[in-house]
Amino acid sequence: MAVTDAGPLYRLPLAGEEEVAYEHPVLGSVLQAPGLSLAATGVDRLLTWGLTNSLWMFPMATSCCAIEFMAAAASRVDLDRMGTILRGTPRQTDVMIIAGTITVKMAPRVKKLWEQMPEPKWAIAMGSCAISGDFYRNLYPVVPGVDTIVPVDVYVPGCPPNPEALMHGLLRLQEKVRMRRAGQLVVREASPALLELTRPTIARLGDPARDRALDRQQEQAALHATEAEPAGTLSEARPPEPPATQARDEVTPSLEALLRDEFGVTDLPADAAPVIGADRHVALARRLRELGHTQLVYIVATHFPEKAGARPQPERFEVAYALRSVGPGSHVAAWRLSLAPGEGAPTLVGLFAGADWQEREQYDLLGVRFDGHPDLRRLMLPETWTGHPLRKDFAADAPCRPWR
Amino acid sequence: MTVLTESAARAGVDPHLAPASLDPEADLMLLHFGPQHPSTHGVFRMDLLLDGEMVLKATPYVGYLHRGVEKLCEKLSFVQQTPIVDKNDYVAPMTNEQALNMAFERLLGVEVPRRARWMRTIFAELQRIASHLLWLGTFTLDLGGALGGGTTLFMHCFRERESILDLFEEVSGARFHYNTHTIGGNRHDLPAGWDANVERALRVIESRLGEYEAMSVANSIFVARTRGIGVLSGDLALELGITGPNLRASGIDHDLRRDAPYGAYDELPVRACVAREGDCLARARVRVDEIRESIRLVRAGLAGLPDGPICGFKPIRQPTQVKIAGGQAYVAIEGPRGELGTFVVGGGDPATAPHRLKIRAPSLHALSAIPYIVPGHTVSDAVAILGSLDPIMGEVDR
Ligand code: SF4
Repeated sequence: MAVTDAGPLYRLPLAGEEEVAYEHPVLGSVLQAPGLSLAATGVDRLLTWGLTNSLWMFPMATSCCAIEFMAAAASRVDLDRMGTILRGTPRQTDVMIIAGTITVKMAPRVKKLWEQMPEPKWAIAMGSCAISGDFYRNLYPVVPGVDTIVPVDVYVPGCPPNPEALMHGLLRLQEKVRMRRAGQLVVREASPALLELTRPTIARLGDPARDRALDRQQEQAALHATEAEPAGTLSEARPPEPPATQARDEVTPSLEALLRDEFGVTDLPADAAPVIGADRHVALARRLRELGHTQLVYIVATHFPEKAGARPQPERFEVAYALRSVGPGSHVAAWRLSLAPGEGAPTLVGLFAGADWQEREQYDLLGVRFDGHPDLRRLMLPETWTGHPLRKDFAADAPCRPWR
Repeated sequence: MTVLTESAARAGVDPHLAPASLDPEADLMLLHFGPQHPSTHGVFRMDLLLDGEMVLKATPYVGYLHRGVEKLCEKLSFVQQTPIVDKNDYVAPMTNEQALNMAFERLLGVEVPRRARWMRTIFAELQRIASHLLWLGTFTLDLGGALGGGTTLFMHCFRERESILDLFEEVSGARFHYNTHTIGGNRHDLPAGWDANVERALRVIESRLGEYEAMSVANSIFVARTRGIGVLSGDLALELGITGPNLRASGIDHDLRRDAPYGAYDELPVRACVAREGDCLARARVRVDEIRESIRLVRAGLAGLPDGPICGFKPIRQPTQVKIAGGQAYVAIEGPRGELGTFVVGGGDPATAPHRLKIRAPSLHALSAIPYIVPGHTVSDAVAILGSLDPIMGEVDR
């Protein structure tokens, strides 16, 4: 049996393709030579023994599962017993352990790192996120399973899997490697039931629906890191219920007095922080800082879509700010800005260095502009992303080809 | 565009300066550090402009783990969100749950029974010990290298951390991602004999802590790598919104547990651990001190743990049971990494979900200090500084 094409030696078969046994490129031909086969088989056994018992691992560790991975490498479970060793570079490793959520921003890097690993190589998907995207699978920035971009050999389910489960996965992989080297047929790891349960939005490697075009697309996307296609389909959003009176955010007496005496604001709502005109906003922040509210707490924007009905309301954005006084008796002074769509909020970067990232995050996720910000770029999503996900008219499951 | 800076704390550092202006002859090196690097504590990237080994400018990039948690929370009902936020700060899930549920309780006006408040406090302090132990282990790993001297303490710290995970597993059934807090209190009461197990674990940790100190903050190599490195002034820390041990290491005596008490802290006095220097060593010292303080607090909490119900809200039977029609609330607690807050706007569509939910993540603010404190140091010091800030990318990117 020959290796079918010039692709990787070890991969899952594509649709309609016979599963082929792994064949060593050199030993394969040596085995054909009469008389040599006995010696070669012995050598091959030795090599297999060495290979399975010294699987060096590349930790593609992104989130919570990585902590369990570290726990597996640490003292109680001690993964090193199995001859594994962790290397920080893909070029020295055999197994990639994908532990954690892979996002569309990270996916090109994962693919690139996978391609830098020398053959033969294997991948273990650790945790539900790597397997199927977990409960994030239908969310705009998450790749629904790493097997859409990297051929996975062993799946270790769990959220997170115990260190013992990872160990079991590694034993499974050793078994699989051994069988492959011996020319035995290896069963596909993921059961059809699992695939059915977590039906992917894009085809897995080895799925009948997957075509070469998608591979090529991903390859291109990996090479030119963030060439994601514009995302964002609009979904219907109904307006929210009218707010009822509830607990009000902390508005200190000093803030109330300040607002009344110096800013002429008398209308203090019972269930939220007071609303300030955008023109007085920076002055208020400055005054509060002089009064001892020296710590920036948060800047949060909220989208309120247009509301029809008995009390129609136009679409608007609210930006909530809070500053804190530190030390004993610490308290928060909060206020809000109400903005029409397209209207910008004056930046606080001049006063608070921390406002830089906070404003960038809100701009990224909600599209609120902060006038005067020196560097208003996206913070969380790739630069090429279109749309602002936390707006109410942005569908949570917006596709982002080719990753989801 | 430049903004008129009204702050002296930034000491003239402009993080928005184009690298080209620092490098007119284009002979410097731009090093991409991350997003996949063993010592970036997750998927974090810095672009370091280097003159030899010296960093001239550091530009951080986040978002490689942005999972859309806030959008997901707008889609799920209030009672479904506790297991989701567990995954934000995955080194301290207990405090995540607590911050989230306290915000909902504020909006609903639910009173938490005294026993539940004390239990939450005990959990939070145990979680702080586990989190700081993990930090100490990985920080020495950063300093020593995976195959270098750092591995010893890493192994020790993880051994002790496991004993705390075992305690939590006894309570909730999970090693982490506990899902044990609920609106109005806790879901699982303490199993019989739990306090004896806690005491056993604490005694072991306490007896070994001195040894760990000798291997870290009192070790001459450790001190040489961290003293005077990455000095963060108190004023700049406040401006950036940095909280928790990072703030206290810069000489600001502020601890929400003491200064805006919640849970059982109004009855359990807390000693804030403060250092003046603001360098990596000070941040390490503060955290090691906090382990001691937390051990004391857990003991005091268990000794004074009152009897009574553990949940002050009607049992959750279905996800759509809790409705919040409007209002806004911000509730903050002192997590292991600092002020962990939940800002929630009620009146979502449907009313069983929030209209907007934002997690105020202390690590995001901590990372924003990088452009100010990394320049002027070497690449190896940049690793030390990053580690000393204790960022958890799950909550940075959410
Ligand atoms: S599977 Fe669970 S524990 Fe693992 S990365 Fe995903 S959310 Fe975290």
